[in-house]
Amino acid sequence: MTPEQALLETEVAIEMITVVIDGFEVTVPKGTLVIRAAEKLGIQIPRFCDHPLLKPAGACRQCLVDIEINGRAFPKPQASCTIPVENNMIVKTQLTSTVAEKAQEGIMEFLLINHPLDCAVCDKGGECPLQNQAMSTGRPESRFEGVKRTFEKPISISSQVLLDRERCVLCARCTRFSEEIAGDPFITLNERGALQQVGIYEKDPFESYYSGNTVQICPVGALTGTSYRFRARPFDLVSIDSACEHCASGCAMRTDIRRGKTLRRLAGDDPSVNEEWNCDKGRWAFKYLTNRERVTTPMIRGADGELHETSWPEAIAFAAAGLKDKRAGVLVGGRTTVEDAYGYSKFARVALGTNDIDFRARPHSDEETSFLSRVALNLKTTYKDIDVADQVVLLGFEPEEESPIVFLRIYKQVSKRALPVLSDAPFASRGSEKLGAVLISDLSKIANLTTKSVVIVGERLAETRGAFSSVYELINKSGAKLAWIPRRSGEPGALAAGAIPTLLPGGRPVTDPAARVDVAAAWSVESLPTSQGRSTSEILLALNVKNLDAVVIGGVDPLDISSTALTQLLNSFVVSLEISHSAITAVADVVLPVAAVIEKSGSYLDWQGSPRVFEKAIADSLSRSDVRILSMLADEMGSPINLPTVSATAREIASLGKWDGTPVAFEKSVSEKITELGEKLNLKSWRLLLDLGTLQGGEANLAGTARKASAHISKARAEKIGVKSGELISISSELGSLELPVEICEMADDLIWVPRNSIGSQVIANLGFVNGQVKVIKA
Amino acid sequence: MKFTSEQLKIMDSIISRYPRSRSAIMPLLHYVQAIDGYVTERGIETIAEILNLATAEVTAVSSFYTQYRSEPAGEYHVGVCINTLCAVMGGDEIYESLTDHLGIENHETTKDGKVSIERIECNAACDYAPVVMVNWEFYDNQTPQSVKDLVDSARAGNPRPPTRGPSKLRTWKENSEVLAGLNDGLAHEGVSAGSASLLGLQISKNGGRQ
Repeated sequence: MTPEQALLETEVAIEMITVVIDGFEVTVPKGTLVIRAAEKLGIQIPRFCDHPLLKPAGACRQCLVDIEINGRAFPKPQASCTIPVENNMIVKTQLTSTVAEKAQEGIMEFLLINHPLDCAVCDKGGECPLQNQAMSTGRPESRFEGVKRTFEKPISISSQVLLDRERCVLCARCTRFSEEIAGDPFITLNERGALQQVGIYEKDPFESYYSGNTVQICPVGALTGTSYRFRARPFDLVSIDSACEHCASGCAMRTDIRRGKTLRRLAGDDPSVNEEWNCDKGRWAFKYLTNRERVTTPMIRGADGELHETSWPEAIAFAAAGLKDKRAGVLVGGRTTVEDAYGYSKFARVALGTNDIDFRARPHSDEETSFLSRVALNLKTTYKDIDVADQVVLLGFEPEEESPIVFLRIYKQVSKRALPVLSDAPFASRGSEKLGAVLISDLSKIANLTTKSVVIVGERLAETRGAFSSVYELINKSGAKLAWIPRRSGEPGALAAGAIPTLLPGGRPVTDPAARVDVAAAWSVESLPTSQGRSTSEILLALNVKNLDAVVIGGVDPLDISSTALTQLLNSFVVSLEISHSAITAVADVVLPVAAVIEKSGSYLDWQGSPRVFEKAIADSLSRSDVRILSMLADEMGSPINLPTVSATAREIASLGKWDGTPVAFEKSVSEKITELGEKLNLKSWRLLLDLGTLQGGEANLAGTARKASAHISKARAEKIGVKSGELISISSELGSLELPVEICEMADDLIWVPRNSIGSQVIANLGFVNGQVKVIKA
Repeated sequence: MKFTSEQLKIMDSIISRYPRSRSAIMPLLHYVQAIDGYVTERGIETIAEILNLATAEVTAVSSFYTQYRSEPAGEYHVGVCINTLCAVMGGDEIYESLTDHLGIENHETTKDGKVSIERIECNAACDYAPVVMVNWEFYDNQTPQSVKDLVDSARAGNPRPPTRGPSKLRTWKENSEVLAGLNDGLAHEGVSAGSASLLGLQISKNGGRQ
């Protein structure tokens, strides 16, 4: 945290210091570095190693300035990135001191001695701090006539990051980021003298979930992303601010487009959310936008059982005919924008006359429904609460895998002030190890919760009966802060938009007549369905037994829900709104192509409940947002929802506002009795950040850094089965089996953990469930 | 192949000397050289594991210091000082003749694995220039011929003892143990300060320069 941020975040008075820089006075908090104080005056001192979010290093020496304190001058120019301001300090930068100017020119000349003049083919050329500052503060001509040092180039330090060592100026931004911010010191400065270079240990590549940030903060072209290398020149790109669609962390992003195509995505700058960082999934998983499987034309299934391309009017008419006056449900999927989710929500109620709508395309429970409708919607916990927490408790939530920026925020406090972290995970994942998390076997082990404690629950808590109820009690008793952080970006927004069987938009209970009147008036309809609707699993069940005839499905992968979800759909009329061909489109009667995130505007709610608004990145895209398509469909059905555009939808959401009446009561559930295991083990799993997720498709370089799937068991269990670390075991249920290499770790003897959706370990597809008992034997 | 439990126990004893375990990284690297002759992969991986560091962090340290070798050293590692004073006093000539004699270059090892050579920087023994070090023991006031004889005697398994230090030249691995902080019990042997180093003191004791 910079001193300025400290000032904002605490009420405590901080001593202020006044310095003179280039003849101008500036007053800054004590501890501010000279280079930062100069920035306040708009004076830019050239720099490479300095980064406001990293600890000072003084590695590159480019920021030399002339300093005197109390009339005594330093004998030599000083690095302004390492010296804090003091009273009576007079600083002269390159603008007013020939000494500073000459010193900076000298350093620049040294840095350029071995730096190649390959700007014309370098990815960084055009947006390169070295190039820019060589022009602004370097000598016009080099005096170096020798032979430049060269290295073999490039070397790949992971499948997604390449290193051109001769371009490196040894600023150590990348190595410091990896160690200080990500806690992954997999790259270091190796060798010495003229041969000093960034490197890895050969067998352990730079497989950090945050490695892309080093490419972004490299002040030269030494680190480049494999996917972007040689693809574009910065001056051909159009940059658009965007929001990340991958998880509920809520990262600000920048999307760079050239002629309608996304070339790269970068972390945006939002100090209250992602600071200046993002994860590699957010940065590199965007090939799904342009893959060959994209649906671009509406399609309807013909009498021959095949999908045929057709016109929009025909497709809409066909879909409307199939839905009108039918008993239909809506599966929204967890990745919609708030506006699209609102469209589905209104469509279900107005056009289909049902509350059978659910955004949860994952294991869920009635207890969770109750928790979401009563508790989750009204939480006010934010990133700031993590910054000042006295402890953080993680329940059904693995932050590095499921919300990586939340992980960075917790890790920041762990490394800064040893923030205590508790986790209910069955074993210490790499993320838990970095956080020094203490593992707890059940909630009764949570002690000393205060109003400054932060309890974070993830979506996987729905898989343990009674867990939400225990948490509810715990929070009520202690007054601790509670956060619900689902894995998918669309879930908080979909909940607020009422894409759930119990709530109308704004948290209005469907069972509350006043709430219904409220919404019905706003929507100009006579009445709204009165009874609580079906959840995702209930909708699928109803479709299967013909209690429902039709279903409208957004971006849903049936294998995220259950192994039987797809077959349950087979006898119904299926309307699929999709960006790409999928398991659902393969069985759908109508496929309506919708816009992917860069082709539309909209907003997400991050886990804090803050809107993350973004504009269309591809301005001339013809693809339309889900809400527009649903509006057309509703018109055709004769029950208009009047949401012709995203902005009109946003206005309607805003005018409707939040429910201020009495919310429904939280219905508690009792935890289930532990059944006798016998020889079987209890299966535990979660998804890894990088896995077989649909949105990561087509990006092999990113996939190359995914953590390899292995099954975790205890030492005693391994001995009982007769396997050693690395040997294969077979894990089976009545529905199927999978084989994985064993990793022995400290965990309960009756548990086994496997990744949920990684290569060789797709739990729902392979075993039929995420939580259950499995037989484990040596393969 | 893993280190033996005996070796791991010694590593633990080295770590226990320091208040923070990571401070033990340098003696541990010497200890790996004492076992394997150079910093091996298993050495880096084991140190990383027991000190709870990333392998990259261990690599950073081992590649920075020239005393850590990334390829096997000979049983007798000969360092020829090529810094200014030794060089003009004959160091350059010694180095030339030694490479000719052994048929190997800087950082290389003879095929029999007995002798490796390295051009080394100042060893703080300029008063005995030109000096040569074998396994970090001093051989003072050398000539091209005396160094040839020295490496020949070493290859024959009977190396000439150092000018100063212990009375018998120990092998590279044995001396790496000493650098790891393990006592070889030979500290009392030989002279520590030779006559050239003490000459000034002698003169001043005798009333200074006349």
